[in-house]
Amino acid sequence: MNPDLMTRTLLYLDGVSVSFDGFRALNNLSFTILPGEMRAIIGPNGAGKTTMMDVVTGKTRPDAGHVIFDGKVDLTKQDEAAIASLGIGRKFQKPTVFESHTVWDNLDLAIEGARDPASTLFHMEGEERDRIEEILGIVRLRERRYELAGALSHGQKQWLEIGMLLAQNPKLLLVDEPVAGMTDAETAETADLLREIARTHSVVVVEHDMTFVRDLGVKVTVLHEGSVLAEGSLDHVSADPRVVEVYLGR
Amino acid sequence: MVLRRLLYALALACALLAPVQPAIAQADTASLIQALGEAKNYTELEQAVDALAATGDSAAVPALEALSAGALYTKKLGGAVLIGVERGADLALTDPLTGESAGTEPAGGYERIRVNNRLRRALRGAIGALTLLSPKPDVRQAAAEAVYKNRDAGALEILEEALAKESVASVRVAMIEAKAAIQLAGEADDATKLAALEIIEKRGGRESLALLGQVSANASPAVAEAAQAAVKKIQAELQWWAILQNITYGISLGSVLLLAAIGLAITFGVMGVINMAHGEMVMIGAYTTFMVQEVIRTSFPALFDVSILIALPLAFLVAGAVGVAIERGIIRFLYGRPLETLLATWGLSLILQQAVRTIFGPTNREVGNPSWMSGAFDIGQISLTYGRLWIVVFGLIVFAALMLMLRRTPLGLQMRAVTQNRRMAASMGIRTPWVDAMTFGLGSGVAGLAGVALSQIDNVSPNLGQGYIIDSFMIVIFGGVGNLWGTLVGAFTLGVVNKFLEPYAGAVLGKIFVLVFIILFIQVRPRGLFALKGRAVEQ
Amino acid sequence: MKGGFLLRGLDRGGLIFLAIVLGVGILVPALNLLVPPGNPFHVPGYAVSLVGKYLCFALLALSIDLVWGYCGILSLGHGAFFALGGYAMGMYLMRQIGARGVYANPELPDFMVFLNWKELPWYWYGFDQFWFAAIMVIAVPGALAFLLGWFAFRSRVTGVYLSIITQAMTFALLLAFFRNDMGFGGNNGLTDFKDILGYPVQAAGTRATLFFASALALALGFLLCRAIIRSKLGKVLIAIRDAESRTRFLGYRVEHYKLFVFTLSACMAGVAGALYVPQVGIINPSEFSPAQSIEMVIWVAVGGRGTLIGPVIGAILVNFGKTYFTAAIPDFWLFALGGLFIAVTLFLPKGIVGAVTDWTKRYRKTPSRPDPVAPKPAE
Repeated sequence: MNPDLMTRTLLYLDGVSVSFDGFRALNNLSFTILPGEMRAIIGPNGAGKTTMMDVVTGKTRPDAGHVIFDGKVDLTKQDEAAIASLGIGRKFQKPTVFESHTVWDNLDLAIEGARDPASTLFHMEGEERDRIEEILGIVRLRERRYELAGALSHGQKQWLEIGMLLAQNPKLLLVDEPVAGMTDAETAETADLLREIARTHSVVVVEHDMTFVRDLGVKVTVLHEGSVLAEGSLDHVSADPRVVEVYLGR
Repeated sequence: MVLRRLLYALALACALLAPVQPAIAQADTASLIQALGEAKNYTELEQAVDALAATGDSAAVPALEALSAGALYTKKLGGAVLIGVERGADLALTDPLTGESAGTEPAGGYERIRVNNRLRRALRGAIGALTLLSPKPDVRQAAAEAVYKNRDAGALEILEEALAKESVASVRVAMIEAKAAIQLAGEADDATKLAALEIIEKRGGRESLALLGQVSANASPAVAEAAQAAVKKIQAELQWWAILQNITYGISLGSVLLLAAIGLAITFGVMGVINMAHGEMVMIGAYTTFMVQEVIRTSFPALFDVSILIALPLAFLVAGAVGVAIERGIIRFLYGRPLETLLATWGLSLILQQAVRTIFGPTNREVGNPSWMSGAFDIGQISLTYGRLWIVVFGLIVFAALMLMLRRTPLGLQMRAVTQNRRMAASMGIRTPWVDAMTFGLGSGVAGLAGVALSQIDNVSPNLGQGYIIDSFMIVIFGGVGNLWGTLVGAFTLGVVNKFLEPYAGAVLGKIFVLVFIILFIQVRPRGLFALKGRAVEQ
Repeated sequence: MKGGFLLRGLDRGGLIFLAIVLGVGILVPALNLLVPPGNPFHVPGYAVSLVGKYLCFALLALSIDLVWGYCGILSLGHGAFFALGGYAMGMYLMRQIGARGVYANPELPDFMVFLNWKELPWYWYGFDQFWFAAIMVIAVPGALAFLLGWFAFRSRVTGVYLSIITQAMTFALLLAFFRNDMGFGGNNGLTDFKDILGYPVQAAGTRATLFFASALALALGFLLCRAIIRSKLGKVLIAIRDAESRTRFLGYRVEHYKLFVFTLSACMAGVAGALYVPQVGIINPSEFSPAQSIEMVIWVAVGGRGTLIGPVIGAILVNFGKTYFTAAIPDFWLFALGGLFIAVTLFLPKGIVGAVTDWTKRYRKTPSRPDPVAPKPAE
C-alpha cells in the first residue's frame, strides 16, 4: 500500500483478488482513479471487468486486497447501500430500470436525498421537481416521463439509467457497457453525454466498442485474466504487442 | 464385550428359528406326559418324570414346570393332561406340549396332579437335566438365562453340574452369571458375594441393575458398597447404550426423512421447482401399495410376502406418471415464477387429497407388513425392528441409485446440462421440455417409492403426504439446494438430533426446537450446509 | 406533516372505497337491530357475525397484499400473526369470564383448573386489562415479525426460501400451541367467552358494535396502506419487488424497508385476528396451520395482488364461496379451492381487479398516466 497515493486518489485498488470455485476472476488487481478523472477499461471476455465493478460496489467481497474510496473508506467493509450512499453510482451491463415504475418515478427514486424508511415515508413530492425535469431534458426522456420504464426501447432504458446515475449525483460513476445494443448515432450521443458528465464527476467506463472508447478520448486500462495488462492512451495500448496478442489470440 | 453380546443375540435368533422337534419325538413326549396323569402314586409319578427327563426333549419342560407349580391337571373324563390356571371356579386350559389354548372349563371336571417335596426335587432335577444339561447349546443357553432371571436357589446344584460339563464358551459364561446371580440373591459369605458381584457387573444390562438393587438391602456393608459401585458403573454403561439406541432411532427417522425428501431434492434442488404436491406423490405411492395388497389378498394370497416388491415398481410408475402429467399440465407454464408454482402445486395437493378421500374414504387404510419386515431383534441393549432396518437399507439404495443415475446415465447428464444452462443445452440438441418432464417424473416417482416404504410404518390416509412436506423442504434447504449429498446428511442429522431432543423435551417440543434451529440456521447459511459457490449462484 | 400523511390516501378511489366499507359497517348492524325479524330487509344475527368475519379476513388479506403485492415477500405464515392477535384478545376475554366458568375459579380459566394449575402463569398477567390486551394484539405479532424479519432480511433470505421459513414458523407455533403445557388451552384453545368491555359478547348490540369496529379497522387499514403505497416509501417497496439488488445500488437499505413493511403487516394481521375472535367466539391452534396461511394467500391472488381493493374483494368472495360450498356440497369445496389456486396462477395472474383494469384499459385505448402500482405478472 502506498498511503501517499491512496489519500490523493478517489478510488484506490491494491492487490485485489477474487476467485470463484478455483477460478481467479481478479488476480492481484491494482489501479487508481484520480478525482475528476474519466477512465475507460477494456479487456476481452473474462478479463474481470464486471467482477471489478462488483467488488467496488460491494456485490462481491474480495478474498484479498484493499479497495479505498476517497482516500479513507475501505469499501470491502461496506455493503451495497452504504457504498451507494458514499457516492458511487453504477450502471449495469444489462439495463436495469424499475420497469413497473414510470420514468419520472425511476428518477425520483434515484435522486439524491435521505434513503431511510422514515424519510421516504413522510417525503413530500415536489422538492426535487426541478432537478428531475432537468435530468429528463439531459437524457431526452421529457416526452415520456409518465410512461412505464418497461415500455422504453433498449437505448432509452440505457439513457434512463444514466439519468438515474446523474440524479444520484455520485462522486464516482461506474458505467458498464453503456452503448451495448445502440445504433451508431446513439453511441455518439452517449459519448457526448458521458464526456459532459465527466466534467463534474469521476467516471469509469467499461466498454468493448473501440470506436466509442476512441470517441471518449481518455486514458485506457487494459485488463487481462484479472489484472492490469497495460495502461495509457488508446493509441499507446493498441501498440502494445501483449494487448494485440490478447485481443487477436495466440 | 459387544462381540459376546452379538453372539448371544445370534444364538438366541438361532434358537427362535430352529425347526420344531421331529414328529416322532413329539409323539413319544406326548405319551409320556399323558403317563403323568396315569400315575397312581408318588413313586409311579416319579418314574414317569424320570422317563420324561430321559427323553432329553425340552418340549416337556412346560409340563414339568406346571407339575412342580401344581398347575397340571387331569381331566376326570378321559384322563387328558392339561395345564390349568384358576379363574374363579373355572380353569383356563392350555396344551402342555403345544402351548395352544384349550378353552376354559369348570374346575370341577379336573383333578390336580399332586406332588410332594421329594417329587419337587426330582422335578427340579428333571427340568434342569432337560434344559441345562440338554445336548443343544441354545437350549442350555436359554436355560441359563432363565435361571439368571428367576435366581432359583434350588437350581444351583444342577447348574454347577452343568457348568462342570459345559464346553461352549458363551453358554459357560451365561451359566457362571446365573450362578453368580443365585449366590448374590441367596445366602453366601461376603467373599463369594463380592466375586459374584464382579461377574454381574461385567454382564451389565437392566436386569443386573434390578438384581443389584435387591442385594444392597440384605447384605453386609462391604457387599452393599460394592453393589452400589457396580450399579453406578452399569448405569453409566446403560447410558451409552441409550445413546446408541437413540442413534439407531435417529437413523431410522433420518431414513424416513431421506426417502420423503430425496424426490424433492430432485424437483426442488435440481430443477428449482417448488412442488407442494410432493407429499401427495408419497401418498399416491402408499395407496398404490394398498391397492397391490388388496388384489393379492383377494386373488393371490400366496404372494403376500412379495407384495411390497410388486408395489415398488408400480408406485414408481404411477407417481412418476402423475408427476409427468403435472409438469406438462401446470408447471411448465410457470417456469421462472417460483412463488406461483408454489401456489398452483398447493392447489393441486388439495385436489389430489380430496380425490383420494373421495375414492378411498377419509379413514386409514390397512397395509400389512410382509413377514420378513415384521419382528424385532436385539443387539446388546438396543432393539431394532426389521421393518425399520429395511427402510434404512431401502433409503440408502434409492439414494445410491439416484446418484448413479445422475452421474452415469445419458438422462442424468442431460438433466445436469439443462439445470446448468438451459439455453446452451437446448442449442446442443437436448430436448429440454422432455428432460424437464422426465426429471420431474423421476422426482415424483422416487416420492412414490417413499410412499411404499412409509406405508409400512405410517397410517395410509389422504393426509399422509402433508405430514412430510414441511420436513422435506426443511431438509433440502438445510442440506443445500442442488446437492443430493446435502440432503442425505441433512436427513440423518435432523433425524438423529430430533431423537436426541425427544427424551429431554418431548416429541413435540423437540420438533419445535428442530424447526427453530433450521429457521435460524438458514439465516446464517442461506444456501444450506453444502452450498454451491460461484458466479452462477449470484445471479 | 403527519396529518397530511394519512390524507394522502384519500383520492377519489380511496373515498369511494371508504364510503362503501363504512356504509356496510353501519347499514348491516342497523338492518339487524332496527328492522324487526320477519321483514325482508332484516339481517339475521348469524349473518352479521359472518360478514363481520369476512371483514376481518379482508383486513388480513390487505396486510398480506402489502408485503406480497408491493414488496414481493410471499409470507406463508401470516396466519400466525392473525392467530397471535386472536390469542391476545382471547386471553383478555378469558380473564373477563372471572368466576363464571365451570369451575368457578375467579383467577384461573377453566382449562388451567382442569390441568391442576395453582396459579396464573406470568405471561397471563395484565390481560385482565383491555388496554394491555389491545397493546399486545399489535405488539406480539409485530415483535415476532420484527425478530424473524431482522434475521431473515439481513441475511438476504428471499423468495421461496423466505416463504418456506415463514411456513416453518407457523408450523412450529401450531405444534407449540397444541401443547397443554403452553398455557393457552392446548387443543381446544380459548372459548366460552362472556363479556367484552363489560358487554355480553353474544348480545345483538355488542355484535353490531364489533361489526362496525371491523369495518372501521378495515377502512383505517386501507387508508394506511394507501398512504404508504402513494408515498415515496411505496415506490421504494415496488422497486424492491421488481429489482431488489438495483435498489440496493441506489443506496436504499432493502432490509430496513422489508422489515418495516413486514412488521407493519404483521401488526395489521394481529388486529384482524383480535376482531375475529370475539365474533366467532373461539380461537384454537388450527389457525396456525400452514394450510390456513396458504389459503389466505389465495384470497389475495384471486382478488389481485398489487392492488389494495383486490385482496378485500378476494377475501370476501373466496370466503363467501367457502361458506356456501362447505354447507351445500362439502366434498366439492376442496376441489374448488384447489382448482382456484391453479386457475388463478395460470389464467389470472393479476387477479380479478388486475384483469378488469387491463380490460378497461384496452377498451379505452388511451394510455394516460398508468397506474403506478400495477403488479408485474411474473415474480
